[in-house]
Amino acid sequence: MKVLCVCGLGQGSSLILKMNVEDILKSKGIYADVDNTDASSASFERCDYIITSAEIAESIRNVNAKIIIVTNYFNKEIIGAEIAEIFEGL
Amino acid sequence: MGVVSNLATWLANNIFGVPTFLLMLIVLVGHILQKSPVEKVVSGTIKAGVGFLVINAGSSVISTSLTEFTNVWSVVFGLQPASYLDQSDFIGNFGSTVALIMLFGFLINVLLARFTKFKYIYLTGHMMWWVSLIFTGVMVNAFPNVSKTLLICVLSPVMGLYWTLQPALTQKYVRKVTGTNDVALAHTVGIGAWLAGLCGNLFAKNKKDSESINFPRSLSFLRDNNVVTGLVMILFFIIGTVLVMFQKTDAATELLASSGDQSFMIYGIVQSLTFVAGIAVVLAGVKMFIGEIVPAFRGISTKLVPNAIPALDCPILFTYAPNATIIGFFGAFIAAIVWMAVLGTAAGYVFVPSMIVLFFHGATAGVIGNSTGGIKGAFLGGVIIGTIVPLGQWLCLTYFIGSTIPATAAWAGDTDQFLLAPLISFIAKLLSSLF
Repeated sequence: MKVLCVCGLGQGSSLILKMNVEDILKSKGIYADVDNTDASSASFERCDYIITSAEIAESIRNVNAKIIIVTNYFNKEIIGAEIAEIFEGL
Repeated sequence: MGVVSNLATWLANNIFGVPTFLLMLIVLVGHILQKSPVEKVVSGTIKAGVGFLVINAGSSVISTSLTEFTNVWSVVFGLQPASYLDQSDFIGNFGSTVALIMLFGFLINVLLARFTKFKYIYLTGHMMWWVSLIFTGVMVNAFPNVSKTLLICVLSPVMGLYWTLQPALTQKYVRKVTGTNDVALAHTVGIGAWLAGLCGNLFAKNKKDSESINFPRSLSFLRDNNVVTGLVMILFFIIGTVLVMFQKTDAATELLASSGDQSFMIYGIVQSLTFVAGIAVVLAGVKMFIGEIVPAFRGISTKLVPNAIPALDCPILFTYAPNATIIGFFGAFIAAIVWMAVLGTAAGYVFVPSMIVLFFHGATAGVIGNSTGGIKGAFLGGVIIGTIVPLGQWLCLTYFIGSTIPATAAWAGDTDQFLLAPLISFIAKLLSSLF
């Protein structure tokens, strides 16, 4: 499974989100390839899930990926609840 | 003895002196300390090395296309076209130094967080890179013969202090925005954001919160920096070229003929997009090595500072007030255009509208300004950024970084870097009289 965490510039906050998502998935025993990138690239990268904020999600058009919106980049409890569909379906 | 010193010299020249290897070494050690699986150690180390080389490739693209932009507006304002090319070998020369300043500066940040009341751990890796690079450029500009050891000895504590105190300065407002003390802001908008919060108090009475209004969704394209930078650079190039076409001067004729058979307008549009492409390349490179370093930094800090407050990149605040980010950005952009006209006519300087800086700094100042002064506070916060950045860019490029990496400072230089550059330059001048 490939997960892409996205912020405007693909530098800082998406990296923090990526580290948190990695930790969350690991704690659920899921092995996933998690990466971070910017709003432009997100539309063209092949992945299963895109995790980003509501505002950034507006500018992403990726037909292959399911876009999951989070309201927080740093609180693992909130992120965990918002991305639950990734590990609940398994 | 001879073998040992030969080995030391060889290591100094070939590992520590070659930024690519040094970064790979830092990442390698970081992964080993975190007990990463072998495949992560290998891929991370290789990516860090590739990322660093990618930065070099992108930097020269930016300098060339930026010169074209400046040429057009120099003719508009009737100035001598000044091509401020970056020293192309600067990153090659000082890249290792910058990497070590980042590393030691971060360790000082960790120590300060461990032993003082400031519990902030700075985790915005790309900003650590940019601010260390710009300050190295400022020091070398003021003190050209400065030794790399002295650069590291001076800038590491400066950065360590800055990375500890900047989050502390903005925390009052970050708490107000997020409603929690669990997270802090780590970004060079620092002093600007603090000013935005402070000045927002002017409108504290009957303030109208930015999130109480409806904003058109079509503005969401503004969050894609490639689109915004490309659009603005093309618009500025077209406007500049049209203004040049109305001039009957020799400089104007010469400029319009410089693209040969191709229309200057078309040539300019391609140059504008080349500038964006250069930035995209540099950012891709920075991302590759920062993405490997930050997890290691976080690993170190959570072990050594159990009650640390992570200080993170500015977009963590954007979700709390998305409208305020747009209002702040507009404030910054409008102010910057006014200053561009003022600087061009009164100071003989062509301001490079650095959209990434104006967006992220304006947006953050907008969110923080909104927390104290509502919509008006958000706009004023943006205007504060749109004033500091153009004036800072002009002063910094003219007095503090002109001989080293001016093009880098023009597109990536920002609020706190410009505000602190005179201090760094002063320290370097002081040291140059001592050593």
